Amino acid sequence: MQTPKPSLTFSVHPSSGVPIYRQLMDQVQALVAGGKLAAGDTLPSVRQMAADLGVNMMTVSKAYAKLEAVGVLDRSRGKGMVVTEPKTAGSVADRQDQLRPLADQAVVRGLQLGLTSPQILDVFKASLGDHKS
Amino acid sequence: MNELAIEVTGLAKQFGAKEVLRGVDLQIPRGRVIGLLGLNGSGKSTLIKCLMGLLKPTSGSVTVLGRDAWHLDDQQKIQIGYVPQEISLYPWMTVRQTVDYVSAFYRTWDTKWSDELLRRWDLPLHDRFGPLSVGQKQKLSLVLALGHRPALLILDEPVASLDPVARRWFLESILEMAADEQHTVLFSTHITSDLERVASHVALMKDGKVVFHDELDVLKDQVKRLRLESAADLPASFAVRGSLCTEVEGRHAIVTVPVVSAELIDELKHRWTADVAVEDLNLEEIFLELHKH
Repeated sequence: MQTPKPSLTFSVHPSSGVPIYRQLMDQVQALVAGGKLAAGDTLPSVRQMAADLGVNMMTVSKAYAKLEAVGVLDRSRGKGMVVTEPKTAGSVADRQDQLRPLADQAVVRGLQLGLTSPQILDVFKASLGDHKS
Repeated sequence: MNELAIEVTGLAKQFGAKEVLRGVDLQIPRGRVIGLLGLNGSGKSTLIKCLMGLLKPTSGSVTVLGRDAWHLDDQQKIQIGYVPQEISLYPWMTVRQTVDYVSAFYRTWDTKWSDELLRRWDLPLHDRFGPLSVGQKQKLSLVLALGHRPALLILDEPVASLDPVARRWFLESILEMAADEQHTVLFSTHITSDLERVASHVALMKDGKVVFHDELDVLKDQVKRLRLESAADLPASFAVRGSLCTEVEGRHAIVTVPVVSAELIDELKHRWTADVAVEDLNLEEIFLELHKH
């Protein structure tokens, strides 16, 4: 799969209270989690995505940079942003460290929604159940 | 080259006894698209006129493209595009004649680009300026401001009279211009949804000062509305320090805070034995919260 994913897969709502870069991050992560974006898939270039969505390029590059920081995307020379392989190398602690920012984000969101710790844990457990291989 | 497109320090402007600007500080690096928001009479247009060297500051300094705004010369002016709130051009000239006339002042005029804009915005080339509708006049004024591909574009409510289709074209043109991250755009507006789409940064004006200037994303990430539901009635003295506005009724309270944090939420939960729900606010809601009292 070398062809970039069309920006049509993405949609943003500029007037939402959620910043556009976070909307994009959430959508990429959801597509990866749902198997619609697989390792090695290429995302549209920053310029392309910004033009198609009619938003500022800075917003798109910010979303990409943050996704790169959490290890969902990899900047590949000449290909742009590529979805990373699920990582199985490195120590368990290392890999847990990589997961932590995402878990933090989910927990904060859960707290924002007024969920209790056990209720948040239930969501994680249910999600793990869905993805058992 | 100076990295700041605009640098305003301690700017004050009085008209007689009336103080319109009371110490504005604003630094805008090159390459940004920044939206200027504020109520009517908050000083947006006066600030913009000071940036353009159309008004002389009472005190403070205004530097545009590295030069004092009151003493801009051809070198800077040729790099600036400006759309004023009230557009006055020669009523007897046709659209075509107006564009030809204005373009003659600029060495760097891009005729292909201005023709493209005239076509996009569907302007009647052979109609005289005078009888054009307000929206058409505004579109023409935008063509004249964009035609020389200015390094700095300053727009005073550019979309107020545009229909939704023209507005979208306008926003796309702004994004096209800003795409190289070299061009700087500052525009004042009341249409927050347009600003949310194209602006990377936002400056909020209130009572003649810039009270907030940062990334739009930062503003949205930080300003939150908290809904508290306490186990018991909340006291009348209920308050959260730094809050923008607070409403209390019985066991419930709604508080808007300028900077949300996990610590703050924890503190509120413990102090008031309350459940706390956090709501995201869009720019319009944030703007309204800032002006509630």
